[in-house]
Amino acid sequence: MSAFWLEYLPLAIILSSLLPGLIIFALKEHQVKLRITLNMLGAVVKLILVILMLQAVKAGQIFFFSIPFLPGADLVLQGDALSLLFVVLSSVLWLATTVYAIGYLENSPLRSRFFGYFSLCVSATVGLALAGNLVTFLLFYELLTLATFPLVVHRGTAEALSAGRRYLIYTVSGGLLIFIGVALLHSQLQSPLFAPGGYIDGIITEQRWLLTITFCLMIAGFGVKAALLPLHGWLPQAMVAPAPVSALLHAVAVVKAGAFGIIRLVYDVYGSDSMRQLQLAEPLMVLAAITILYGSWRALAQQDIKRRLAYSTISQVSYITAGVAMLGPIAAVGGLVHLVHQGVMKITLFFCAGNFAETLGVHKIHQLNGAGRRMPLTSLAFTLGALGMIGIPPTAGFISKWYLGVGAVETDHPMMLLIFIFSGLLNAAYFLPILYRLWFVRQTTRWPAERCLSKRFETHWTLLLPMLFTALLIILMGLFASTGVSPLSWAELIVGREFRYD
Amino acid sequence: MIDLSTWLWPGAGLGLVTELQQLWWNFSLSLWLIAAAFSVSFMANTAHKARYWLFFSLSFAGNLLLIAALDAVSFYIGFSLMSLSAYGLVVHSGHKTARRAGRLYLQLAIVGEFLLLAGLILRASAADGQYDWQSWQQIPLDHLTILLIISGLGLKAGFWPLHIWLPQAHPAAPAPASAVLSGAMIKAGVLGLVVFLPAGDPLLQYWVPYMITIGFCSAFFGVAASLLYQQPKIILAYSSVSQVGYILVLVALCWTDSAALVIPVLMAYASHHAFAKGALFLYAGLNARHKLPAAWQLLFWLPALALMALPFSGGAAIKTGLKNLLGTVPLPGWLNADLLVMLLSVGAVATAILFFHLAAALRQQWRSHQQHTAADWQLYWQGGCIFIALLVLVWLPWHWQPLALLTEKTLNLKALYALCWPLLLALLVFTAVRWQSRWQLSSRYYDRPSIVILWSLKLKRMYQPQRQWQAVRYRFNWRNVERLVYRFSPGGVMGPSALLLLMLLLLANLLW
Repeated sequence: MSAFWLEYLPLAIILSSLLPGLIIFALKEHQVKLRITLNMLGAVVKLILVILMLQAVKAGQIFFFSIPFLPGADLVLQGDALSLLFVVLSSVLWLATTVYAIGYLENSPLRSRFFGYFSLCVSATVGLALAGNLVTFLLFYELLTLATFPLVVHRGTAEALSAGRRYLIYTVSGGLLIFIGVALLHSQLQSPLFAPGGYIDGIITEQRWLLTITFCLMIAGFGVKAALLPLHGWLPQAMVAPAPVSALLHAVAVVKAGAFGIIRLVYDVYGSDSMRQLQLAEPLMVLAAITILYGSWRALAQQDIKRRLAYSTISQVSYITAGVAMLGPIAAVGGLVHLVHQGVMKITLFFCAGNFAETLGVHKIHQLNGAGRRMPLTSLAFTLGALGMIGIPPTAGFISKWYLGVGAVETDHPMMLLIFIFSGLLNAAYFLPILYRLWFVRQTTRWPAERCLSKRFETHWTLLLPMLFTALLIILMGLFASTGVSPLSWAELIVGREFRYD
Repeated sequence: MIDLSTWLWPGAGLGLVTELQQLWWNFSLSLWLIAAAFSVSFMANTAHKARYWLFFSLSFAGNLLLIAALDAVSFYIGFSLMSLSAYGLVVHSGHKTARRAGRLYLQLAIVGEFLLLAGLILRASAADGQYDWQSWQQIPLDHLTILLIISGLGLKAGFWPLHIWLPQAHPAAPAPASAVLSGAMIKAGVLGLVVFLPAGDPLLQYWVPYMITIGFCSAFFGVAASLLYQQPKIILAYSSVSQVGYILVLVALCWTDSAALVIPVLMAYASHHAFAKGALFLYAGLNARHKLPAAWQLLFWLPALALMALPFSGGAAIKTGLKNLLGTVPLPGWLNADLLVMLLSVGAVATAILFFHLAAALRQQWRSHQQHTAADWQLYWQGGCIFIALLVLVWLPWHWQPLALLTEKTLNLKALYALCWPLLLALLVFTAVRWQSRWQLSSRYYDRPSIVILWSLKLKRMYQPQRQWQAVRYRFNWRNVERLVYRFSPGGVMGPSALLLLMLLLLANLLW
């Protein structure tokens, strides 16, 4: 690839969603076709660019774009293997979610605002994935906070506004903590590029406490978005947002931004050796373990479908943190691959929940009785997603559970294996009753608000297609995990590069 | 052999490589096909036919996949597919008892699945990322792994004390489904126990005597429990618990160094039991629906007598083979060969009593039907399916090499006598107890609902709580405190203090 592309491709990837987003803000409400065209064009162009980049990174090329920004900290966009993992996930799922959102919000007001912020949100996500140092990361991270707020409060109801307020309080204070952390690190070392193995070894002996405090601050900051235990409060509330937003929030944009931040911090800022020296990994792992169990436990009692899924997200995202915090190569593969697998599975489940709500008006679990007969495809997709979450083979969830489990044994943390097994049991306990209602219970009452969205299919095809696509991915990623195109092979590539530095 | 390692994970492959796999494949496939043929007519006029066939074919596929698997992950995929889809078969009728039994079944299936997963993960990390059987069999085991694998697969195999779902789930399913549940699926657990735990592993030797003990407990427990029930299918389910006990004894012997001697007997036992139990469940399904012509009782007595080890039947050959085996194989630990051989004879009496009891229960059920059913072609078709299973059963002991060798050993007077006296004794005891009604238990001991359903309900209430601990909403109203301070402070103190604060702020600003 030519030098021009090596420099400007990361920028082009961000702009491919940012520019359509900015134009969409200026569009009138009734310019539906133009808006759809712009959205789809952005999504497809981004996907093509990302695939180009993927090929090049696989071949070993490094993308680097930099402009001066602060003293000691340029604005750097860098395409390495780890950032590509997140970029590919967000571009693919953005395409799916855009199609879904077009169908979901058909004929509803304020669509220009919605799709504008929607594109902005994805640009921020891709930006933070491509960020090459902590300052750039922080910039996009805060941009993401601001871009998602209008999406959470999109409906404008009192409930949505209060959830949005809560979301903003949590994330802005989290961002503040990260800001302090970044500033502390910057005062010592400037902000060099993310590097496998970290860059803090130089000051580890004299600045032990400062590094520890910085780590705690930044984990607390990232923990807000990644919904680690005491900081998860905003997530179950934020599910009042429209289904595509919840889908994107839970699967890609927000929670994953937090998890991705933790991965960057642990592997590329501190590095596993320094983490061991500072003894920071064990507490993080324990925190993740507690969150895994707590999220699953709270999910048991939720009667609202989306709320149950939200608590499930809290639990599942901590798998990533746990995998990263175990500091072993296999566990890291498990954590990284779960970043992708959880995204695809959770987005499928939220698409399904949105379909049930849109087509049948069903929001509560007990209203789902017999829905498998009325909406077989949606129920099938939900079943696949749920089985994946439990970790039944050959779904994608099984692969991540397997690697996490083997990693737990390999890094000599048998308690973590127990936690994964127990959490799997809890997952089964809160997902299987839903499947039972879908397939085995007869419908006794009428659907709360049934709408006929399509003559041929069970619901509108734009709602159906993205969901079936991601459901198919769940099976394919699980079955063909060992082939060269799977997320697992990519995670192994990353871990190979991350753990090879010494 | 199909090598899938380029497409799937390293070591992935399907194939019938060992003799054990070939045999398991043959009898499972035949039994599933017989059950499928039976279902075509048996389930013809029932509701939710499509759902029945969906779950039937899914668990069929899972069962065959796990047999043909050459690596642990393929086995696990087949195992979960089979276990989870069998839930659809158990709850198929939709009755209250079926739903409850299904819940218990699913709870334990999931638990078993995760126990097995933990065992596999421990094994895989010991084997350093290899998943195929060959590399696994080189790696020594540890006690935790053994415990996890035995309990995970044991929950499927259904021996005592892991049998608790079995007497609930097997009777609840439609007859052809119970036939494959009892005939093929519990054998899948048995197969797993043989392939996951390699013969001759030093640590495994500690487990052998305990597993043999559990096997005998299971054998006697199954018979004792079955006598307390009147429903033919429950009796048959407990009979499975009892028979799996003997199979478990054989499995445990397979783990010793003399595996080569034991495996033929194990294969013979498993396949014989599969066909006989399958035929019995199918017959019980017919008997529950129709008042069958008297001649059809042959379809019951043939497999029943085979399982009771009547001379010249397959059962006789297997029982004699097992007895000889216990006499010749060096037993590990504190086991006493003579005692075990004696227990086997007592067990033969117990099994025979169970089947007499079953015959009485079937007779009772037969009487309760109002009128004879005219045998139409559908009934003949179903009877024909059972008959095919019986043909296999009759053919096996004489023409199938491992079993034929065992049969030859029973063809002498001493062996015939050893086989006959338990049957006669059982007949004597059974008729005596029926004749002397005061030797029977009072009727309140019969057909009691099982406690395990209650446990399952309690477990369900635990994981589906109506309310849960909620985080305390902490709301603090500063206005009240402010009011309180204002009320208790002397008049005019608020103004000056506010002024003081302002001054301090200004001062701080100036000095900064």
